[in-house]
Amino acid sequence: MSADLSIVLLTLRVALAATLVVLPVGVLAAWWLARWRGPGRSLVETMLALPLVLPPTAVGLLLLELLRPAGAIGRLLSGLNLEVLFTWKAAAIASAVMAFPLMVRPVRTAFEEADPRLTSLARSLGDGPIRAFRRIALPLAWRGILAGTVLAFARAVGEFGATILIAGSIPGRTQTLALAIFHRTQIGQDAEALRLVAITVAIAFVALWSTELLRTRRSRRLRGEP
Amino acid sequence: MITIDVRLPLEHFDLAVAAELRGRAVGLLGPSGSGKTSLLEAIAGLRRGVTGRIVREGEVLLDSAKGVRLPPERRRVGYVPQESLLFPHLSVEENVRYAMRGGSEEVFRDAVEILEIVPLLPRAPATLSGGERQRVALARAIASRPRLLLLDEPLAGVDVALRGRIVPYLLRIRDELAIPFLYVTHNTGEAALLLEEGLWLERGRLRATGPIGRVLEESARVGGDSGAVIENLFAGTLEELARDGVRGFRVGDARLFVPDPGHTGRGVYAVAPSDVLLAAAALPAVSARNVLEGMVSSARDAGGLRLVSVEASGLAWTVSLTAAAAAELGLEPGRRVWLAVKAAAFRPLS
Repeated sequence: MSADLSIVLLTLRVALAATLVVLPVGVLAAWWLARWRGPGRSLVETMLALPLVLPPTAVGLLLLELLRPAGAIGRLLSGLNLEVLFTWKAAAIASAVMAFPLMVRPVRTAFEEADPRLTSLARSLGDGPIRAFRRIALPLAWRGILAGTVLAFARAVGEFGATILIAGSIPGRTQTLALAIFHRTQIGQDAEALRLVAITVAIAFVALWSTELLRTRRSRRLRGEP
Repeated sequence: MITIDVRLPLEHFDLAVAAELRGRAVGLLGPSGSGKTSLLEAIAGLRRGVTGRIVREGEVLLDSAKGVRLPPERRRVGYVPQESLLFPHLSVEENVRYAMRGGSEEVFRDAVEILEIVPLLPRAPATLSGGERQRVALARAIASRPRLLLLDEPLAGVDVALRGRIVPYLLRIRDELAIPFLYVTHNTGEAALLLEEGLWLERGRLRATGPIGRVLEESARVGGDSGAVIENLFAGTLEELARDGVRGFRVGDARLFVPDPGHTGRGVYAVAPSDVLLAAAALPAVSARNVLEGMVSSARDAGGLRLVSVEASGLAWTVSLTAAAAAELGLEPGRRVWLAVKAAAFRPLS
């Protein structure tokens, strides 16, 4: 039982870290995609969507190439004395990369749906571009940002393929729920695996349901209802 | 004074406007799609690709040759777009206070009191009517203490009764707050009532400029604005004198008689051009309460009718009548005429 708890806590830590990393980067990328009309847009768009269609193991292998001590990013990390591969941080990185396109898509749609003239108007009312973004564009896109965040979090909770390649499946260190379920079925502990499945369902349910509650309450406020 | 000399490539033509505006209330007139909104957005700094110069009271907002291009937030321009564009996620009060970083409470009070939106403050923009939204948008612009207001048809899309309710607020902005404004409208009555100067824009070019009366006449001469709404609007003071449901109404030097609204003070009234009768000779006895002597200043055809502009008692009137009737009376510029209007033809707008 205490093993289950530590798996859950590790999974939540990995998923939360991944979501916190993806949130600001994803929002900025979505904003750029929603507003940029110059060249290079469709290219960037396609590249950002790649993790959505590539096999997660392929993404994992690419990450491994980048993060290994001689890799482009690995060298930087070892220079900083940071150990990443086969730690929970690697699991978070794998989850973040896989969750990124899921974050960007709904946020971008939300930015595109908001009238861009509202931000312009905020500018003429004295806001600089960053302030207008924070006071107008961001709150108007809250629905998409919320949806993207929940999707990214859920995706991070369930990440498997890329994680196993760069973080392994080390019990107590990098073995998250998805990895533990697989591991337990492999060694014939089906009942124990099912217990983890139940926990996963519960986490996903709470995440989605609380989002839904928050969403309806805020929509009602926007419509001027109590 | 505002000096404008701007160019901006648009989809179908280039906007190229050079003008010196001296008046406090300047009209931007012209057919739909002639570049009026683009010009406002260029002045507000919301358009890319604008070249030229914009100088307001010595303050350079744009001088592309010298690389000066103040961002919108530093132009101190209050922009009220046609659809009011309130921030939907903020309450009315938060909307009005939006631009008030460190601004005084007095500015806020003035804005919400002049536009009479105090009861609306806690509400969400989605619950407001069209006229209320426009008033909130105006208050928001005023509360930002702009040095220039840009009003893009603030009364379009607002029904007649509400429009009438907003006109007096615009007069108060002009007279009490003394904020200069540029005002886009298709309504000649509104223009004549609110504005001092006019710019007539067609396909991005200035066709006429000068005092509003002359610009309206000039625009009528070159074919006018097919979408224009033509009416006579008068703002003045309701007098003590009232009898039989009719009250005296002083506009400049003229005294008119209008339906008694039951109070004195400020009033705004509209008269449709078809509700004014013209006579070629003095009227010895007539039931209409308003009979004024005047002179025809211009006449033109509009949709099978003849629109005649008359100067009478210092007021500009537009009268519509059939071409046959106009020919019979010989209504050409310079002709002396008498006009008669029933008191009941005056519609109160405030």
